Amino acid sequence: MGTFLKHHRWITPLALLAPGLLWLLVFYLYPALQMFMASFWSGSLATGFTFSLSNWTNYPDAVSTYAPIYLRSVLYAGAATVTTFLIAYPLAYTIAFKGGRFKNLLLFLVVAPFFTSFLLRTVSWKIILSDSGPVLGPLKAIGILPQQFHVLASPMAVIAGITYAFLPFMTLPIYVALEKVDFRLVEAAKDLYAGPWRPGGAIVGAIVGGVLMAVLGFVFNTSPLAFAIVGAVVGAVLFHFRVSESFVRVTFPLSISGVFAGGLLTFIPAIGDYVNAELLGGPNTSMIGNVIQAKFLTENDYPSASALSFVMMFGVLIVVAIYAKILGTEELSAAAARA
Amino acid sequence: MTAVALAPSARPKGSVANRIDRVFDRWSMIVYTLLAVIYLLLPVAVIILFSFNDPPGKTNVVWHGFTLKYWLNPFGPDGLGSAVVLSITIAILSTLIATVLGTLMALALERYQFRGKSFANSLIFIPMATPEIIMGASLLTMFVSIGQPPFFPLNFVTILIAHIMFNISYVVVTVRARLAGFPRHLEEAAMDLFANEWQTFWRVTFPLILPGIVAAALLAFSLSIDDFVITNFTSGMSVTFPMYIYGAARIGIPVQVNVIGTSIFLIAVGSVALTTLAGRRKRG
Amino acid sequence: MSTSDKLTGSPISRRRLLQGSALMGTAAFLAACGTKGTVSPAPTAAAAATTAASAAPSAAAASGAAGSAAPSAAPASAAPTATPSEPMIPNGTVANVVWANWPLYIDVDKNGNHPTIQAFEKKYGVKVTYKEAINDNNDFFGKIQPNLQAGQPTGWDIITMTDWMAAKLISFGWIERLNPAAMPNFQANVKDQYKTVDWDPDVAHHAPWQSGMTGIGYDPKVTGSVTTLKAFFTADPRWTGKVDMLTEMRDTIGLTMLSLGLDPSKPTRAAFDQCITALTAAKNAGIIRRFTGNDYSQDLSAGDAVLVMAWSGDMVQLLVDKPGLKFSLGADGTYGGMLWSDNMMVPKGAAQPYTAELLMDWYYIPANAAAVEDYVNYICPCRGADVVLKKLDPSVASNPLIFPPDSTLARLSIFGSLTPDDESYFNTGFDNLINGA
Repeated sequence: MGTFLKHHRWITPLALLAPGLLWLLVFYLYPALQMFMASFWSGSLATGFTFSLSNWTNYPDAVSTYAPIYLRSVLYAGAATVTTFLIAYPLAYTIAFKGGRFKNLLLFLVVAPFFTSFLLRTVSWKIILSDSGPVLGPLKAIGILPQQFHVLASPMAVIAGITYAFLPFMTLPIYVALEKVDFRLVEAAKDLYAGPWRPGGAIVGAIVGGVLMAVLGFVFNTSPLAFAIVGAVVGAVLFHFRVSESFVRVTFPLSISGVFAGGLLTFIPAIGDYVNAELLGGPNTSMIGNVIQAKFLTENDYPSASALSFVMMFGVLIVVAIYAKILGTEELSAAAARA
Repeated sequence: MTAVALAPSARPKGSVANRIDRVFDRWSMIVYTLLAVIYLLLPVAVIILFSFNDPPGKTNVVWHGFTLKYWLNPFGPDGLGSAVVLSITIAILSTLIATVLGTLMALALERYQFRGKSFANSLIFIPMATPEIIMGASLLTMFVSIGQPPFFPLNFVTILIAHIMFNISYVVVTVRARLAGFPRHLEEAAMDLFANEWQTFWRVTFPLILPGIVAAALLAFSLSIDDFVITNFTSGMSVTFPMYIYGAARIGIPVQVNVIGTSIFLIAVGSVALTTLAGRRKRG
Repeated sequence: MSTSDKLTGSPISRRRLLQGSALMGTAAFLAACGTKGTVSPAPTAAAAATTAASAAPSAAAASGAAGSAAPSAAPASAAPTATPSEPMIPNGTVANVVWANWPLYIDVDKNGNHPTIQAFEKKYGVKVTYKEAINDNNDFFGKIQPNLQAGQPTGWDIITMTDWMAAKLISFGWIERLNPAAMPNFQANVKDQYKTVDWDPDVAHHAPWQSGMTGIGYDPKVTGSVTTLKAFFTADPRWTGKVDMLTEMRDTIGLTMLSLGLDPSKPTRAAFDQCITALTAAKNAGIIRRFTGNDYSQDLSAGDAVLVMAWSGDMVQLLVDKPGLKFSLGADGTYGGMLWSDNMMVPKGAAQPYTAELLMDWYYIPANAAAVEDYVNYICPCRGADVVLKKLDPSVASNPLIFPPDSTLARLSIFGSLTPDDESYFNTGFDNLINGA
């Protein structure tokens, strides 16, 4: 057996890959290709659809009409991915390195909320963030916020909803990657690169803090510049003292495969998400998923729905390709291992 | 386990700044983690709280008073019990199957070079980028075109097929995060000693990638138990828990839904806490 | 009229209507307000239904002997038939049927059973598989459409769909024609206004299950009295940013048309365009908070919305959540609301159309319709159900939102049929509005 495998090296990967790949080919790719054909249809449900390659114009039509919504989807999904990363990384780091005997429990608590119904959780958020609810009510009562202020039915609510919904998708892969980091390597790195990350920590901290607070400033309709300055200072100080050179040089690169995976697991489903926009958003916060949903279900415009979907999927594939080129998981981790 | 500081102090020992730094080191991450967990669990806390609510009407969004009556009659509304059982069964089965299939794929993709690898890679990423409605509708079209009973009656089996399908990608990506940059030398050493790929896998590789597999299974389970769109298309006449809730939302989600949501959450957390504690005692 | 809260034991029970009358803004309905009789527990109504059912066979035996006399004699009289007629067709075999309906849309007893269905099962010796499988017209359409298009059975014997979706299914030829001989009670007891829909002129394909009104729902504590649909389009600090409208195109566009003095029963593209202009202006002015399905009830309950386009049945039940809420069709003579129905239909390829017809007819026996109404609180399409309910549950019988007087019904509009082209024009325009494209 051993010799057989050595002589036919292709057998093993094929055998490993075959069942899953077959499943995806039969139950994903084949039906999806049928749906792809639908993007070259013309006609309507009432008159019947006809296939013709000349209907490629469905694509430019769909894109030109819904370009602003594509852009909005990318922005929301991107913002949510960054926020998710900022929340998830320290969380995964703590669980991996300081979780101790509570590691499993903590890890489980990250996912546990997602065993309860999404709809119920959204209702919960709506109770918590209600215009005169337990959070905003008191703030309005003491005059910090104007009476008209609301979080729900705003872009921020949608982004926050997506962030919440995909937090475990970011946390788990980062944890998984960090957990395998050889601890002795980190210790050795600390001896090698003692001290804070200079000057990177302050710079990165200032940028991250500044941008985040500026966004908050916009949301609260106050002065974004003042918010940004405060954020930049706090971020710079925090990062300068909290982010060490050894972390930047060793630990972080070793966990980059997790960040890469987490980023994809968050961004990809986030860009197609429509439920958060539907339940938490307002009349101008719809994402491309909402449009596809409406095209398909209410308008029965299968060609447009299909074209819009495939544009999104091609876009995501390109992002993945670029992402992989720049970060190149394998090369990066190999380099880190050599260092 | 020793605490690891992100930034070891560069200042001389014993100084006030150093002491502050150490306290900060010790507590900042703990406090942060607690805050993050609170953030994650806050909505669940509200769900639990509102399972004891006694709303006079149909909306369960304002606190009206404490009652146990819904806990005493958790499957009161018609169809709720069977929906919950169906959802849990499908979640468990689809998680098991997808985790096995996905882990094998992750091993193949991370360990071997072969022709068609980029195709396989794309085939894994693209389902995650496919709108659920397109996936659900295209699957339904296929099931219908294959034919009605006995081939593909839309039911339990078709839901299961769909859930395994969309779970595989998530499993592969999560397990690969664990496998990437994996210390191959351990396996090579084992191979020298045991000289058997099978044993090497079970004694060395598997324990090392287990955290990745567990994480992937958790993700898969959470995706499956809460899926609505794809399930709705592929369910035929079956009704799952999320379908029940979306349907009930039209009239008002019964408080019992909170009771069941709470129960699933508590049972899951309780069993993990118990195993964690048991493991702790064994080691101690 | 403040003690209704005590009457509601569980979320299953939907008998919280005592305050319902107060919902209507107009004085005409306030008169109906005072009634607050003793509310009998649900099983009573169900028991009545059962008795009525078991009484039927004897009457049926007589009419059965007279051949098809019963169905043809009945429709002429405006009054409900005193005794349920027995459906008779030769060679009709009864067998198990499968029915898709919306959740919480039929009578339920304490054990989660549906007494009216149990009575039917007992009488005919069949099993009714009742599934709460519909949560959205479009979702459900997407689900059964491939089967219907492929000419395959959907597996359902009865489906329950809203007017416009029913119209669409019928126009595609995907609905079985009903056999009137099998449905004498339906022929006799369906209310007149349901007989004139333009999408099924001879009412040969559908039997209404429940109806509802769409109008103005508001919280007078915040908004003051709102008696005009124009309020939805007028910026006012009391409700700007707290206005919810419906994602159901026909409801939102219908009410907008009414507010503009246009006629929703004859929808034109020009009228639609005017509506979109008005709605876009309201959206840009920040008046509209969001477009919702039923979850406007949560917004209203939590105070996040104070002025909404609302469904009457929801408002009857919401009143218990938030006493003081009002439902109005507008006081201003030209204004009104929309009337819609959910309809039972037999999809093409159904295995047991005959039993399905019997079951549909079953709910046109007033006692059965009353049992359902007592629980569901929407508008009953069956004549005579209020007469039965007057004895069992007077508060429901006298609630103008459940049994609206003819004067109210006359003010309601039914959204007119759309050609497929117009349908797609309307849907696309409306979706672009609510998706901010």
